[in-house]
Amino acid sequence: MTTTVFLQLVTNGIAQGAMYGLIAVGYTMVYGIIQLINFAHGEFFMFGGFGALAVYLWIPAVQHLPLLAALPIMLVGGMIASVIIAVLAERFAYRPLRNAPRLAPLITAIGVSILLQQLVFLWYPQPGHTGVTAPLQFPTFGSKPWHLGGVVIQRADLLTVIVALACMAYLAYFVMKTRTGRAMQATAQDPDTARLMGINTDRVIVVAFVLGAAFAAVAAITYGLRFGQVSFDMGFSAGLKAFTAAVLGGIGNIYGAMVGGLVLGIAEQVTTGVLASYHATQQWGTAWQDVWAFLLLIVVLLVRPQGLLGERVADRA
Amino acid sequence: MTTLTTTEPADRVGTAVLEARGVTMRFGGLTAVDGVDLTVGDREIVGLIGPNGAGKTTFFNCLTGLYVPTSGEVRYKGAVLPAKPYRVTQAGIARTFQNIRLFANMTVLENVMVGRHCRTKEGLFSAIGRGPRYRSAERESRDNARELLDFLGIGRHANSLARNLPYGDQRKLEIARAMASDPGLILLDEPTAGMNPQETRATQEVVFKIRERGLAVVVIEHDMRFIFGLCDRVAVLVQGRKLVEGTPEVVRADERVIAAYLGTPYEDDAADRGAAGDGDGATVRAAGEDEGTAS
Amino acid sequence: MTEQAPQWGADSQPPQTPLAARRDGTSPVSPAIAKALVAVGAVVSLVSTFLAWTWTSSFPGDLSVTGYPGGNQVITLVVSVLLILALGPVYGVPGLRWLAPRGYVRLLRGLALANAVSTWYVLLAIAIELNGLANWVSGSWVAAIATLLPVAGSFLLPDDQRDAPPARSIPLWAQSAIILVAIILAMFIADYGITTGFTEEFIGFALAVGFAAWGLNASGVLARLTELTARNRIATSVAAFAAALLFVFLQTSDQYNTIADDILIFATVALGLNIVVGLAGLLDLGYVAFLGVGAYSAALVSGALSSRYAHTVLPFWGQILIGVSVSIIAGVIIGAPTLRLRGDYLAIVTLGFGEIFRIVVNNLNGQSGPDLTNGPEGVYGVPDLKLFGYDFGKNHQLFGVTFGKFGNYYLLLLVAMAIVVFIFARVNDSRIGRAWVAIREDETAAGAMGIHGYRFKLLAFGLGAALAGFAGTINAHLLNTVTPDQYLFSASAPPNSAFLLAAVVLGGMGTISGPLLGAALLYLVPAKFQFFQNKQLLLFGLALILMMRFRPEGLVPNKRRQLEFHAEEVAEAEAHEVVASEAPEAEAVA
Repeated sequence: MTTTVFLQLVTNGIAQGAMYGLIAVGYTMVYGIIQLINFAHGEFFMFGGFGALAVYLWIPAVQHLPLLAALPIMLVGGMIASVIIAVLAERFAYRPLRNAPRLAPLITAIGVSILLQQLVFLWYPQPGHTGVTAPLQFPTFGSKPWHLGGVVIQRADLLTVIVALACMAYLAYFVMKTRTGRAMQATAQDPDTARLMGINTDRVIVVAFVLGAAFAAVAAITYGLRFGQVSFDMGFSAGLKAFTAAVLGGIGNIYGAMVGGLVLGIAEQVTTGVLASYHATQQWGTAWQDVWAFLLLIVVLLVRPQGLLGERVADRA
Repeated sequence: MTTLTTTEPADRVGTAVLEARGVTMRFGGLTAVDGVDLTVGDREIVGLIGPNGAGKTTFFNCLTGLYVPTSGEVRYKGAVLPAKPYRVTQAGIARTFQNIRLFANMTVLENVMVGRHCRTKEGLFSAIGRGPRYRSAERESRDNARELLDFLGIGRHANSLARNLPYGDQRKLEIARAMASDPGLILLDEPTAGMNPQETRATQEVVFKIRERGLAVVVIEHDMRFIFGLCDRVAVLVQGRKLVEGTPEVVRADERVIAAYLGTPYEDDAADRGAAGDGDGATVRAAGEDEGTAS
Repeated sequence: MTEQAPQWGADSQPPQTPLAARRDGTSPVSPAIAKALVAVGAVVSLVSTFLAWTWTSSFPGDLSVTGYPGGNQVITLVVSVLLILALGPVYGVPGLRWLAPRGYVRLLRGLALANAVSTWYVLLAIAIELNGLANWVSGSWVAAIATLLPVAGSFLLPDDQRDAPPARSIPLWAQSAIILVAIILAMFIADYGITTGFTEEFIGFALAVGFAAWGLNASGVLARLTELTARNRIATSVAAFAAALLFVFLQTSDQYNTIADDILIFATVALGLNIVVGLAGLLDLGYVAFLGVGAYSAALVSGALSSRYAHTVLPFWGQILIGVSVSIIAGVIIGAPTLRLRGDYLAIVTLGFGEIFRIVVNNLNGQSGPDLTNGPEGVYGVPDLKLFGYDFGKNHQLFGVTFGKFGNYYLLLLVAMAIVVFIFARVNDSRIGRAWVAIREDETAAGAMGIHGYRFKLLAFGLGAALAGFAGTINAHLLNTVTPDQYLFSASAPPNSAFLLAAVVLGGMGTISGPLLGAALLYLVPAKFQFFQNKQLLLFGLALILMMRFRPEGLVPNKRRQLEFHAEEVAEAEAHEVVASEAPEAEAVA
């Protein structure tokens, strides 16, 4: 295990983690305000990816542009798709259950998730009964990476990190400097008082969903660029990882979500890489990646259940 | 007024049911309870008063294991208090909550039977097997629950859902549930909040009856007529510290307490009240207090 | 109430639909005529089932035979008979008034709709599938018109919903007899549903059952029956067991026993989840993994040749012991760190565990890990059970009926389910059950009552895992193979975690019959709606959303939970009751 290899793993992990973080932010924002695990958030992510792909496939002009120029247009398409779905879900599935006991919105979220997955699945060029569920191809940068001191940096990875930083910067600005952002903070802390202060909490919740979905769309495009494909079930596993990241960083804390994502991404890559590089532990490498991520979650929950950036909340009897 | 004579705290050291010494509770930079001592003797009724935010409920939480005090010690019948709430209940301290926390979707009877949980030990295999020991334990729990419900006057509601009870009866159910664990000490957190004077008076009677059954009682309240008419001793908490402790007369007359909490009577009212002979000299609702916020 | 005159003038009527009965009880048609319409329609539609409804036998069920009802005609026949019976309370026939304690009009409407909708469905299906109304024959027209008459008649009758008078008290033996008859009838209905051979039959059946159930519910019969069963728990359990036993003896082939077996496994596991989710309120999203753990553990020691431990063959009770123990261990490992935390975290962790289980089992294939579970191929060739010389894989003759493999397993599964139901019932109504509900309601208050929250949550979790492991042991032998893909979070057929959770929640949490009903429906509906094949999961997701929106307490409401979800409406009603009964007493106290 040389330093270069280690740094390579860390670099890969940062890119992967940035993506997790972008998705996790959406999870954590919604949970922070309405205490709902939006099971379907992974599907918002997935829709964003397909929206971007749709723009690419259906607008021929876009295909002739250099990828970097096409991306913003695809991003718009992706965001439109994910945001529309998010707003619809919030309005028709989640909002009526605002005051229901915890289990009802969770089951609904599972229903929404399955519904969305299947909707996309049916739209596939090869309809389901043939049993073929091949993912769809997504445009990529091709392989012209940069080299920095022996470490290979893919262009898609670099873009991911840059974009993630930009999004977080915007989010920080939004939450702290804009009226709506401060309203979100207030609603997250105490919805009833916020309402009494004249804040339209319904609108704030919609904004949280919209922002989360938008970020998820960004993450989906980075996913597509890095892996070269999108599939109808990419939301399930990514969503699970993202929620792990959110919990790791401290649920409800948006900075924690990104931190948690980065930690998860790096830990994943480093662990599997290290295990794969030694002959004795070789077989416990890549195939077990998700298992190590899960174990990390368990350990964090054991040792610091409020997450890395979370605070202990005393129960006021 | 109490009918039993009160003895000075010094005589009670041997029979102290509760001994809290130097209890301090800090949350980050905030000191909610600062070095509070409190001793409760056998069958004593002690009142705990003070403005909102004074730390009364926080102190209660320290007495019941919900919070672990940052420093200080709490002893129940000589033994140091266990750190977990369910063990504290097992040891013999029961409590009610400031905001009613009944099990809303269980029946009234079931609520009280749950209160008796720590005095029974029938486990999984016993529940499945239902031998004679299980059945007699269930019957005993049920009888005990019914007796408590009758004691508090809500026996007729036994099979209603707890959430459908009128407010005053819900408060009584909280007390019945707390008593079901056969405690030696019961902590009542604002038991008359939201009640009218008639209901308040009835609650006073209930607390006396509880004492007659052999329990010691500590009560947090804002209703001064209730407190001064009920308690053997009163402790005043202001900003986390115990300001004064003593008999109701002593506390009522203490200048610091009047300044910090009780306030002075309006001049025109004093004459009327003096004529009626029932005057306690203080306004019925103490200054610095409003409904429903944390104490 | 204000004394204001109605806005439309003191002596005019509120606007009304022309044909429906008016609110003031009058009707454009006299009640006698309306009732007659119903009666005539019922009788004629009954007769029409003996006619041919189409000229070709290519429509499923062969409806082209005169003199003998076939396929969907049987459904119409039965519902027509019910409709005729329902005329009993209408015409005051003594002995039949119990059919409609709350009023007969809605019963008529429900049955009439059941009759009409299911018949018209078939007739339209004939027209559509065979391309054209020309495929209707005179019998079809008779049926079409005859089934519409009761609908018209019943909707022309003014609504007569009222509170049910208190039930007459009947001797205990009569109560038990009624329960037995009702349950056996229900079993025959379920049997019909399970053994439908083709989709049209199932749809017609479902439509008829749906409307008829609504009608029976509105007439108060179902409520009376529920009261009876609640008061005679033991009789009900015995009757249910007897009926279930009867079901398998009625099967002439092993074909439908497969479905029944799958339903039984699914329902048993759902009951186990019901303890975790329904009683203790723990959100377990990866429950099917425990089923898998039990299955794998048992399969590995069952003597299957593909098993790494093929030389170790344990007897069945030994396999159960292993399956249950390993499941409990898994449950404790997962639960111990996470049950200390908030419920939402548990949801994610259990979901993760479900996925991890699949990945682990997939990877222990000798390449990415030691070969324990044979990777994606799984452990196949699990032998059939042999208990006390009874080989479950072979045919047997019992009481003159041939039992194939699935019939044999049916008997075993029935016993297994009875055990789980027994455990659930005992535990629900006990100190432990109360502690679980208390924890679910308010964990802090429960702690203040002396309940060690963590220990009880772990107990619920462990018990749930144990029951799932138990079911898994049998499942391994039933399917003769255990692969990772049988135990997923969501798939188009149960069992999987999403469907299990749905069965519990949609069926009715915390009750016994709820998850059983939920499991049966969730299995049958996708299995029977074959033409929806690739849209099954889509509809499942939609169903979840709609159910949570409109009936979150599930089909079989636990009285507690229904009040929880519709709190405001019911609380007002009950509060008025209590206040009313309090008033005279308040004076006595003061």
